[in-house]
Amino acid sequence: MSRNRIQTHGHGDAEMRAVLSPYHGVTVSRRRASHWLLIAVICVMAAGCGVRFDMEDQPRYETYQKSDGIFSDGRASRTPPDGTVARGHLNEDKAFYTGKIDNPDLNAQVESTTDASGNTLVTSFPNAIDEFPLPVTRELIDRGEERYNIYCIVCHGPVGAGDGMIVRRGFSQPPTYHDDRLRNAPVGHFFDVITNGWGRMNGYAASIPAADRWAIVAYIRTLQVSQNPDQALKMNTNTQANTQASPAVEEKPAANTNTSGGATQ
Amino acid sequence: MAQFFQKGANNIARITMIMGVVVAGLAFFAYTQFSRSSYITGQYVELQQPVQFSHRHHVGDDGIDCRYCHTTVETTASAGMPPTQTCMNCHSEIWADSPYLEPVRASFRENKPIEWERVHDLPEYAYFNHSIHVAKGVGCSTCHGEIDNMAAVSQENTLQMEWCLSCHREPEKFIRPKSEIYNMQWQDNDITAEERLKLKEDYRIRSRDMLTSCSICHR
Repeated sequence: MSRNRIQTHGHGDAEMRAVLSPYHGVTVSRRRASHWLLIAVICVMAAGCGVRFDMEDQPRYETYQKSDGIFSDGRASRTPPDGTVARGHLNEDKAFYTGKIDNPDLNAQVESTTDASGNTLVTSFPNAIDEFPLPVTRELIDRGEERYNIYCIVCHGPVGAGDGMIVRRGFSQPPTYHDDRLRNAPVGHFFDVITNGWGRMNGYAASIPAADRWAIVAYIRTLQVSQNPDQALKMNTNTQANTQASPAVEEKPAANTNTSGGATQ
Repeated sequence: MAQFFQKGANNIARITMIMGVVVAGLAFFAYTQFSRSSYITGQYVELQQPVQFSHRHHVGDDGIDCRYCHTTVETTASAGMPPTQTCMNCHSEIWADSPYLEPVRASFRENKPIEWERVHDLPEYAYFNHSIHVAKGVGCSTCHGEIDNMAAVSQENTLQMEWCLSCHREPEKFIRPKSEIYNMQWQDNDITAEERLKLKEDYRIRSRDMLTSCSICHR
């Protein structure tokens, strides 16, 4: 050890070697032995490490990974307990998050009829809000078109006639958007159906954030206009904020200063 | 006393030296090829899934958008595996009696997840986020291949670091317009190199130094 240290100090290597020459051979042979030892140690360590994947599979759960016996249902991701409100998701703005008026009458009688294919069609909408709770802009409608063509087109078809690919494959035909009943239906009704489903349609609240659901409603209104251009349809009376950026990026538009509810942040 | 080394010993020594280099080179080459083989990377390997789900049918035949099921691809790191309810949106009526779909119905009845086999399994020291790639013009098929032609999904690429870097070094070779992200038939040369360079500017994709910095992926 001390010999090594001397050598690595090295002020004048040749001189030093000359000084150490009587011991030189001993040093080299010891160093050789230590090299072999080092190689042996490295081999043992490599053999130990070579088959381990600690870094590849770390002791934590990846998204959707199965939990090994920790939770009875095998899921590593947990569902929040009922009634839990995540930060920023209080959703106080009832109009924005439910499409319903402030104090909906849960016992209100809803009139309905049944069409030829067995769908129950509501004809009165006592609790649905009649105005968009966010500014309807070109960006909102474009966003709605994009979202409609992802989630709705599969059954409702490209213009909402109820002839989507899944219907052609045998799913029950949904009613068309283009009759007086739905042309006169308040926007809150469409929002409620997207959120909670209706008849054979499941709710899409898990797939589509609320702002995008409103964008889709705006696009449905647009489709209704496109298929029946002579009839004026009530899109929105709230146009003062039409220069706002697309609200669909965030769950809730930042500068939504209109009628309904309080801030949700 | 006879010569210890025969005349041929020189040649043997030369050949040995040359062969040593050649064998070492071959061994290294074999190693590089082996480590890139599908045996190691899992590329093109189809896994046995609990349900014979076909992307070729759902995407190719039915034209369902990727995001109908993979809802969070634009907003989070994970593209999102659909809950069983998403399957039941249609299969409550379509093929509702099929024995092939019994695992789906059982999952829905018993509120238990379907245990899919993970096809793309990145090592956990690598950070990957779908949303940023989609937002910067990397289409699904750039990494996943023509999913709409895959009856059983397999890994289209090696997912090795050299593969990631091939794009992080030159993203302008692979990016596409926003409208074509979910287009499975898109080819990289559908637009010109100049258009792709302009896209790179429009997306404000960061510099090569930034994109190949270690901590971009190993964080």
